This record gives sequence, structure tokens and C-alpha cells, in this order.
Amino acid sequence: MASVPGRNKRLESLVSIVLLVMLLIVGLGVVMRQSDVDMTRFGIGLDVSGPPAEPEEPASPAVLDLDSFAPDGFKTVSAARTYGPENLYEKINGKAPLYTDSGFVSLSTQRFVSTADENLWIELFIYDMAALRNAFSVYSLQKRLDSQALSALQYAYSTSSGVYLVCGGYYVELIGSAESPGLLGAMKPIVDRLKMTLPDEEAGRIAELEFFPPENRVAGSEKLYLANAFGFEGLENTFVCRYETGGQEVTAFLGKGADPQASLAVAKGYCDFLIENDATPAEAAGETIRAASGRVFDFYGTTEIVFAVGPFFGGIHEAEDKRTAEQLAETLIIRLTEAAKESK
Amino acid sequence: MTEQTGNRLERRELLLRSVKAGVSIAAAGLVSAALYDSDGPGSGLDAESLVTFKDWAVTPEPGRTMSIVRGPDRRATVTKAIDLLGGIRRFVKQGQTVAIKPNVAFASPAMLGATANPELVAEVVKLCRDAGAKRVIVTDNPINEAASCFMLTGIRGAAELAGAKVVLPRQSHFRSTSLEGGRLIRSWPVYFEPFARADALIGIAPVKHHQRSGASMTMKNWYGLLGGPRNVFHQDINTIIAELSMMVKPSLVILDGTEVMMTNGPTGGSRADLRRADTMIASCDMVAADSFGCTLLGLKPADLPYLAAAARAGVGTTDYQSLKPASAVLS
Repeated sequence: MASVPGRNKRLESLVSIVLLVMLLIVGLGVVMRQSDVDMTRFGIGLDVSGPPAEPEEPASPAVLDLDSFAPDGFKTVSAARTYGPENLYEKINGKAPLYTDSGFVSLSTQRFVSTADENLWIELFIYDMAALRNAFSVYSLQKRLDSQALSALQYAYSTSSGVYLVCGGYYVELIGSAESPGLLGAMKPIVDRLKMTLPDEEAGRIAELEFFPPENRVAGSEKLYLANAFGFEGLENTFVCRYETGGQEVTAFLGKGADPQASLAVAKGYCDFLIENDATPAEAAGETIRAASGRVFDFYGTTEIVFAVGPFFGGIHEAEDKRTAEQLAETLIIRLTEAAKESK
Repeated sequence: MTEQTGNRLERRELLLRSVKAGVSIAAAGLVSAALYDSDGPGSGLDAESLVTFKDWAVTPEPGRTMSIVRGPDRRATVTKAIDLLGGIRRFVKQGQTVAIKPNVAFASPAMLGATANPELVAEVVKLCRDAGAKRVIVTDNPINEAASCFMLTGIRGAAELAGAKVVLPRQSHFRSTSLEGGRLIRSWPVYFEPFARADALIGIAPVKHHQRSGASMTMKNWYGLLGGPRNVFHQDINTIIAELSMMVKPSLVILDGTEVMMTNGPTGGSRADLRRADTMIASCDMVAADSFGCTLLGLKPADLPYLAAAARAGVGTTDYQSLKPASAVLS
């Protein structure tokens, strides 16, 4: 074959050899990786032939001596267990995504059995959620209505069989084997110990919750949706709180964007979402709501209000009575306006 | 002239290189096709070693497919519910081996309602023994460590006291199966051996809220038969539940709605998650049982896509009322 003018065959050969060697290295790399697939990265254990394997112990960032939490008259009967995101399902199965979607780091568990009656026991679950807000989110989304607030911590309650609390970036459950005052009593020193042991980030306070008007607020009804509030994926880090007024139930919500433009975009996105789902714009509400770029919708017989104030977005969700919804929205807007001024 | 020669040579070389590239691509494609494993990371067993569960379904009898009994006492309601279907002897014959698969997923106390109730399991064992069953085994492949689950739920003690043998899963109990027409259950290990010699299969499950699937009832109960890294199926929970209902054809399912876990399922964690509904369902049609059961959670059958999928596959009907369920109220 005749040579083409300007070609440097030696250089071309060298480049070709280099490319072939690189391809060979890539190919070998692929073969090596595929022959040693780490399915645990996808939440899948390695053992595919039998029952689920005993959980391996991932390193916990906060190594706690759970055995030392045993109250008087109780003992441990097995070693404490720690679970990571890859094997959390082995402990709580279908509830795992609630945690893993909320910043979950690890779960440490231990069971304390009564020395007097082996049928009486307490299981301690300490979820390391990495941040106070994450811990509050999983706490609030599981909060039992039939519960009693505990004064020991900002976010804590008990039911007839357990204690549930947030301590800094940790969500903690103490679950009893029976509805027993004795078991609940035995949980108290564990709570006290947890309070001393776990770092209580920001003294357990979440600023946004202070912005909800206190009048007619249903105590303990606050929730935090880290994502997908009301089914809209654009509503992230959204706090929700219920109100009861004049026999009507109203739900208020708020969140804080990076800046006023971001909050306005969230509010607009939620309005668009409502319209896409057949919400119809309702008669313009009062001046306060209009001044906050507020919009009112009729949504299958309920009222939705959406607004933005400075860095905050907020609104009213599925209110049965439009006037009640507007009144609460106006109060919320006034409080958020003041908060926005103070934050400048 | 030189330019023309150069052009002719470039065209020839272009064609040659194109042919070479085409051959290389075709060769790479052939090698990839030869190495492609369409089954993915399964058990590695060949098709000849795959097993299939028996068909334990009983002969249909009009008006005796499903029963609903209201009352607070599980022992009484389950006995009545089975009576309304023709009695336990319709499902269990003298000298038979019966496998009972309760939901024993978690190592949690019975009062939390995350697992089958031990009294209910014991009563079904007793009914089977009274019907002349030679052997009754109670077994499950729990999420948590099996021995702890059976002990802490109280199911081991209650079942053994009633005359059952509790079987805990072992490695040798698992075999590989593929569901005909299934998309997910393909060469997948299942908890098989304890059921292999059973003449009848009874599933027992509580009505529970489930974070992922909406509800966990009799169909979801078969999730316990899956071995291996079954968590992967949570990504397509509706399909796997529907496929499980296609894979397992039980003699009878019992759905316990005496106390219903309304929130925080499937583990719960507080008595406050439960609501009394005082309802027991016995059914030869698990789709119908779950379609009724979801109403105890305030849901409609249409809210649970796996019910429609199972109905489309011919497992049962979501229109449970069309079965004219037999009913009774016990005080």
C-alpha cells in the first residue's frame, strides 16, 4: 500500500499500541471487578443461597457501651448489635427506607431483661441520624397520637409500652415487652443516662418550629418532611403543624429556602403541582396573603394556600374552612415577616 | 496526478479500516452476548435443580371461599371462621402433615402486633391436631434471627404447647426456584424443605400497615419464604408480593384483624400503633382476604397495586363481596 503524504507511521503505531494497552488494562479491570462484585453496596448480602446472614457489625461512628445502660434489676443476655445502611433492613425490614432516606448512619440495639421475670424486657434502639433535623424528622413522622410528652427532653414522649425521644442527632426508642408501669419506670434512668451520654446538638431546638403561631396549635403535632411533603417532591425540609379551631382542623406548613428567590420558586412549584392535580384558583384572599405572593386554591372541597415571605415559604394544607385557613395563613405570614426582618 | 492517487489510496484505506472496525464491533458483540447472564446474580443453580411448591389449594365450594367473623377472642373467632368454610377437616385430613406459616418476622413481643398472635397460632395447631393431623409444623424464615423471633413473640412456646413442631430455617432448607412467567422470582433461593412433605399449608398473618407496600397481610406473609438477599425486592415490592401469591397456593389463609397496626408498620413499636377491629378472616382466596383486610386499615383494594396484579394473574379476586363471604358475630 502506498504511503499517504504527511503520515508518520511510526507515531501512529506507537499511539495505537498505547491505546491497545490502555484498552487491555480497562478490560482487565472490568473483569477483575465483575469477578468480585460487592453486592452489599446495593443493600444486598453476599449469601444468596440460604437464610439471611447474621448482621455483620459495621463500625459505628459513636461507639456506645450499650450494656452500661442496663437499669437496676435488668441484665443483658446477648451482645449489643449495630446495623448500618446496608443491613438495617435485617432489623426493621420495610421500615428501613424511612431512616435511610433521612440521613441514617447506624442503629445500635441492646435488650435488657428483668432479672425477676424474663418475660419483662426493654429493647433500646439508638439511631444515629447524623443531625438533629434528621432525627426529629423520623421522630415526628412516627409520633403516636396517644402519647404523653416527657419533660426530660425537648422532643420526647411515652406511650403505655415505650419511650421515644430525640437527643441531638440521635433518635431513640425504648420498647417494652409489656404494658407495665414497672418497665416504664425502668426506662427513666436509661433516658437520663442517654441525656448525659449523647451530644445534644443546639440544645435540641429547631428554629422553624418557633415560627408556628402558638394559638390553637395541637401540642406535639409538628412534623418535618425532609422531602416529598404532601406528595410534591419540590417541598423539601418542610415543617407541618396541626391546628384545631372552632371545631375545624387546619394544617399549616413552612420551610426555609436558601434565599427569597429559592422560596418563591418552591411556592410557585407547589402551586403548579396543585393546578396539575386539578386544584382551581379561588377568590383572591386578603391583602396580607396577596402581599406575600400568596395564592388560594380550592382542592376537592378543601382550601390550599401557598405563599412566600423573604427566605420562607409556607401555607395551609387541606383546610375544611376557607376563612379559618386564611386567618391562620395571615398570622403565619406576619410571624414569618418578622422572622425574615430579624434574620437580615 | 499525485492528488488523485492520494485520494484513491485514502478511500481504499477508509474502506479497509471500516471493515476492520465492523469486524471488531461484531466480535465484541458476540463475546458480550455469549457472556451475558440474563438471570443476574442468582443462586447459580442450573434449571434442572429448580424446585416448585406444591399446589395445596382445596377444591372450591360455592359460598365457602371466605368468612368474616367479628369478635374479640381470637380462639373463638378463628374456630368459627374455619367452621363457616366447612370446618378444618375440609383442609386437613387424618394422618396428614400440616405446615403452618405464621408471620414471625420480628423479635418483638406479641402485644405489638408486628407478628402473628401466638394464641391464634396455637388454636390453629390445635384444630389441625383435633382433625387428626399426624404432624403439624410451624415455621418461618424471619427478618431477625429466627430463634429469637420464635421465642420473643411467644409463638414457639404456644405452638409447641399445642402440639406442633417448630422448625427453624437452616441452610439446607433452601432450594432454588423460578416462577413461570415471573419477572423477579427467577433462580431464587426459597425456604422449601419444611414444606416439601406437607399435605396442607396454612398461612397466618396480622393486618399491618407497611411503610413500603402500604399493607402487609396474607400475601406479603409469603415474603418469609424468600431466602438470600431478599431486601433487593423491596425496590419492586408490588411485583414481588404478586409473584409470591402466584408461587404459593395454600390450603387456607387466616388474616387476623383483631388488632390492626394502623401506623408505623411493619415493625410498629407501640401499643398506640394498634386499633381494635375485632375481625378474623379465613379464606381460600388470599387476594379476597387481603382486599377485605385493607379496608380495616382505611384503604381500598385499588390503593394496593399488588392486589390488582395478583387478580390479573388469576390468583383470586379483589371483589371479595362477589364471593358472598360467610359471616358471624361473636360476643
